[in-house]
Amino acid sequence: MVLYALISGILIGLFYGFAALGLSLAFGVLRVVNIAHGDVIVLGSYLAYELSTQAHLNPLIAIPVAIPVAVVIGLAFYRLIAPSLGRSKDPEMLSLILFFGVSQVIEALATIGFTVNQDTLLTGPVGNGSVQILGQTFPNYEPVAAAVAVPGALLVMLYLYRSRLGLATRALMSSRADALLAGIDVGRTSALSFGIALALAASAGVLSIYVNGGVNPSQGADLTTTAFAVVVIGGLGNPGGALAGGLVFGLAEQFAQSYEPNWAGLVPYALLLAVMLAKPEGLFGRRARYA
Amino acid sequence: MKVHHRLLGLTGVCAAAAGVVAVAATQAQAVHTRVSSKAPKQIIVGTLYSSSGAFAPDSIPELDGIKFWVNQMNKSGGVYVGAFHKKIHVKLVAYNDQSSPTTAATLYSQLITQNHVNIMIPDFGSVLTAPAVAIAQEHHQLLFDATASGTVFFTPNNPYIVGSGIRNSAFWPDPLVQYLVAKHINKVAVLYDANDFDAAQAATINSGLKAHGITPVYYQSTPTTTTTYGTLINSIAATHPQAVIELGYNTNDIPFLNTLTTSGQHFKMVFTVFPGQLPQLFQQDVGTKGLKYTYTYATPPLLPYAKVNLGLNTPQFVRAFRKAFPSVPVTYPAMAGYGTALVAQEALDKAGLFTQLSMRRALANVSGKVTTAIGQFKITKDGAEEGEFLPVGQYLPTRGGTTIKIIYPKSLATATAKYPAPTS
Repeated sequence: MVLYALISGILIGLFYGFAALGLSLAFGVLRVVNIAHGDVIVLGSYLAYELSTQAHLNPLIAIPVAIPVAVVIGLAFYRLIAPSLGRSKDPEMLSLILFFGVSQVIEALATIGFTVNQDTLLTGPVGNGSVQILGQTFPNYEPVAAAVAVPGALLVMLYLYRSRLGLATRALMSSRADALLAGIDVGRTSALSFGIALALAASAGVLSIYVNGGVNPSQGADLTTTAFAVVVIGGLGNPGGALAGGLVFGLAEQFAQSYEPNWAGLVPYALLLAVMLAKPEGLFGRRARYA
Repeated sequence: MKVHHRLLGLTGVCAAAAGVVAVAATQAQAVHTRVSSKAPKQIIVGTLYSSSGAFAPDSIPELDGIKFWVNQMNKSGGVYVGAFHKKIHVKLVAYNDQSSPTTAATLYSQLITQNHVNIMIPDFGSVLTAPAVAIAQEHHQLLFDATASGTVFFTPNNPYIVGSGIRNSAFWPDPLVQYLVAKHINKVAVLYDANDFDAAQAATINSGLKAHGITPVYYQSTPTTTTTYGTLINSIAATHPQAVIELGYNTNDIPFLNTLTTSGQHFKMVFTVFPGQLPQLFQQDVGTKGLKYTYTYATPPLLPYAKVNLGLNTPQFVRAFRKAFPSVPVTYPAMAGYGTALVAQEALDKAGLFTQLSMRRALANVSGKVTTAIGQFKITKDGAEEGEFLPVGQYLPTRGGTTIKIIYPKSLATATAKYPAPTS
């Protein structure tokens, strides 16, 4: 039981971290909490579902399809909302309300398009069958989710730490004012970061339909809550911390399920409180500097 | 002496207060009676539904069942109200709570205080009915409980609730326990969701088995929001059970069954709650492989009631409902909505006065004498429905897929159980 919970905690935790990566990136760069993050994950799930059931394609193909679409939508959406947010006296609050509205719209449209019922993907190599890891049997989707999450997160790290745009993004995450002074195109960098954040969420959605046992239009709020807890544990605005936060969350959840299932919903959030009290900036968050 | 005077004073104050309360209560009753002595232009049926959220797949068909009844009544000139000796047009007021108990609480109050409903039917299930119970009691509004079967709702000091649709969930597993005992299945694992509906069933199974000297090898609850089951199934498998009983809502049963299929584990018997109530949804979301040999409660329309003395019988309802709602599958929640509305119809018919408590008394009088398309209407003195019977069903393979057959009790059985479930 220990070994199973450990492996499952790591595999599912990596998925949680990947699912939270976009939320962390958006917060780090734009300083907005995207409440509609979970709803974008839901849209990714539906894209996988449609590609599989209608076009009879491997659902994982939804990831390369979702990425450019999400980036374009993210760029356009940022251009649409940035002026309003910039003019607002309280952009954080306005962004919360704005994304709440977006969340409601996505849920309503998904309900119209896909009905309220749960949809599942049972066919293909991901949804069907099991795999042995260290003598324990796991559903195929758990290692597949982890196998997609790890390179996905690595690509984000490569972008952030090995590209000029990534350098600009990190500068923006560190200080918007300093980035402006350094001549960084803040608008362009922010828009691209938001697009990438949406692409990450949609990609996680392709895996979520398996890990969460299906997709329904109302799932978004729960997914946002989980992602938010993960990024807070790992450190708000730190994409690397999101993966660590995901692992902590996943392990806590799976060990609780093994030994005290009724506490499985509580333990990760109790851990979140503990982290907040002991290290308010999160496990891998940077301490605030006041010059 | 001083104390004595104080006591006297206190008694006097209490008596005065009691008098005021009694007078106020009498006046209130008088007002209620005066108001109800004049026939209303329409009977307002108030309910909530969830167009989104976890309960939507069950809530929408329940509303459709109520709508079906309203349409039927109005086509026939209205519902007969015994207190006025005439038929009155029915108006349905339905608000969307989006599966949120908080929203539901506000809307229940609105139904009573703003819409002044005559008949109040809560939304689907225990979670969304829970806020209605206290609100209805506070406002002296009778709650026609359709699908909330949690035991905690029915108490001796609350006459403002009556189980009208689904049977109290504490009674549901009785045939299942009998089946387990009859089959000499001694190693039973029970995983249930932490909510009134599932906890009541789990408690009945636990006590029922213990009465036969059987202690479950696994007895754990999990949050209702659970959707990942790999670790839980692995923990259950470690106890080597002969039967696994998972008690959840459909949003739990579906991922549980799907994870089980891909977990590499095989159990001799697996029981879940909702495949029998929502067979179309489970066929789509779990499929033949995952459903094969699964046990479940067999509910109407799987369990048909041909002899009824109120409303349409089960086959007639199925035909008429399909005609009225061609795109909606005939499921148990739809039937429960219809059955509940029929109980409200009976209350309006038999109540001597057009008051909430008079309707409640009328239903107590007809308890055990009424059978509808969902079974017998019979309530305990606390108002909990105890007449319906839920046999044990099993998904058995057919040429095209699977079909649910009743396998216990023998008097109702339409097939023999396949136990242990084959591995293929």
